[in-house]
Amino acid sequence: MSASHRHGGQGMNRIEIQYFAVLRERAGVSRETVETAAATAAELYDELAGRHDFGLPRAMLRVAVNDEFTDWSRSLAAGDRVVFIPPVAGG
Amino acid sequence: MQAFSFSSGPLEPGRYREALGDPSAGGYASFEGWVRDHNEGRTVQRLEYEAFEALAIKEGERIVAEAVARFGVTRAACVHRVGSLAIGDLAVWVGVSSAHRGEAFAACRYIIDEVKHRVPIWKKEHYTDGDSGWVNCERCAAAAHDHDHGHGHDHDPGHAHAAGLAEHPEARAARQDYSRQVALPEVGAAGQAKLAAASVLVVGAGGLGVPVLQYLTAAGVGRIGIVDGDVIEASNLHRQPLYGIADLGRPKAVVAAERLHALNREVRLEVHEARATAGNIDGLVKNYDLVVECTDNFRAKFLVNDAVVRALKPAVFASVHQYEGQVQVYRPLPHWPCLRCLWPEAPRDGLVGNCAEAGVLGPVPATLGAMQAMQVLKRLLGLDAGEAPALVTVDLLTLETRRLVARRNPDCDHDNPAATVAPSAAEPLELEFATLAEALESGLELVDIRETWERMHDPPGLQITTHLPLSALVNGYLEFPTEGRYLLVCAHGVRSLSVTEQLRAQGLTEVYSLRGGLAAFRS
Repeated sequence: MSASHRHGGQGMNRIEIQYFAVLRERAGVSRETVETAAATAAELYDELAGRHDFGLPRAMLRVAVNDEFTDWSRSLAAGDRVVFIPPVAGG
Repeated sequence: MQAFSFSSGPLEPGRYREALGDPSAGGYASFEGWVRDHNEGRTVQRLEYEAFEALAIKEGERIVAEAVARFGVTRAACVHRVGSLAIGDLAVWVGVSSAHRGEAFAACRYIIDEVKHRVPIWKKEHYTDGDSGWVNCERCAAAAHDHDHGHGHDHDPGHAHAAGLAEHPEARAARQDYSRQVALPEVGAAGQAKLAAASVLVVGAGGLGVPVLQYLTAAGVGRIGIVDGDVIEASNLHRQPLYGIADLGRPKAVVAAERLHALNREVRLEVHEARATAGNIDGLVKNYDLVVECTDNFRAKFLVNDAVVRALKPAVFASVHQYEGQVQVYRPLPHWPCLRCLWPEAPRDGLVGNCAEAGVLGPVPATLGAMQAMQVLKRLLGLDAGEAPALVTVDLLTLETRRLVARRNPDCDHDNPAATVAPSAAEPLELEFATLAEALESGLELVDIRETWERMHDPPGLQITTHLPLSALVNGYLEFPTEGRYLLVCAHGVRSLSVTEQLRAQGLTEVYSLRGGLAAFRS
């Protein structure tokens, strides 16, 4: 929550993550909290994609931070709530 | 003679019969309907027929044309009486000439059945006790219509026939009662009038579409269009309980209209028995105030998105995946994001699962569909003032909803047709075959792109030996051969069409998708 975290990548941030659809299936959980050095949403996704074997390219997904859709370049701060959303087609 | 006409004077079968003569005709079959002296236990003295002539003639001509096309007969015609008739009078005449008797009888039967079912004609019966009553011919009995002849209705895909369009005011025994919604201060009589004046197009009559259609019909939305080109399958019923076991194999849009008509006869229901395509979507959208997107594939979702952006119409989108779903409202406002703003790379079908692949519990699309219906009513009633654009996610396992604020993407073309893979005008993307054997004889190599588990669960037979699962193609584990002539096959023809488009865009010219997929061979 400090200013250095907001601009940084220096320290570890505690981030709340929520997964939807295929990502939830692959991760095996709908939410988790991670300690991460990822500075941006993109870095965080890449880190988690490696861990959970998501197999979906980032360009296909959207990310929302604190309930707002945002760019992948958005920097992360401690306590951010991050949601990864794949497009869904079922009906 | 005209294929379908009305006569206010006595019918003249002899004269009509002559008009059907043709050197190639080997016979003639005719049906005459007479006024009888009783109906449902009451003694009838005389009756009057009334019709919406302009509309009735169009529908009647369509029926006769369908019969000629279906049964290959030489000529056919139908004349219906209007005005006052006595017992024993001729009420309707149908005649068919044909090379052979079988077709003549079948076409004759088809015409009279369809005329009684589809043409808006009323009769007023005068009973011996001095009483009288309007009877909406067979239209009231639409739900009971046995459809033994109806499975292969050759409906012109873009054409709407209007069930419930022409209910005679006196024929309405009971009026709909909207008192429980009119009681809401935000609705009232003015709100109800807004709903009655509104028109909504529902694209897809499946898991999402069923509750959308039911609630909008029940709420008294004035005119509802139903777009669906599929037939009802056994695997649909767990999440589409508007339909029943007896409906299997029948067109979804037609059965939905029948059920909804029974629910609320004041709603005009328009059946568009076709899939949404680049060719028909703009024409459909322009005739309605609002569009509800209820399909199970990205192709249709983006088609609808582009069409509503072009037509400046609001739309309500939803999708489900297993236990969760998403709802998004589109409004044609300068700051409002469209579907492409959110998903700049239009996703490909098959990549992230649909109900067939991923599985779903019925109440999930039911919940999301009900949410869509609510968003529609909200928009039509003007209860959404000041609402910000968002994607709402719902998780039915945890009962969590999340409202994610979305913004317009300045780089988005919104309805950029180049963003969708435009179908090549020269070559059709889809081919239709009546049987697997016919497809095999086409000279194309058949490629099953279903997933391995689907193939094990539902083997296509030994004939389709080439198997390239879509997931492997998408993930790059397998590559599609660049030479050869291929017919791609999946369960329903949605994924194969998507892959075909993609391959065409990559320069493969002789690759096609089997229309309707393997399911088409079964129906």
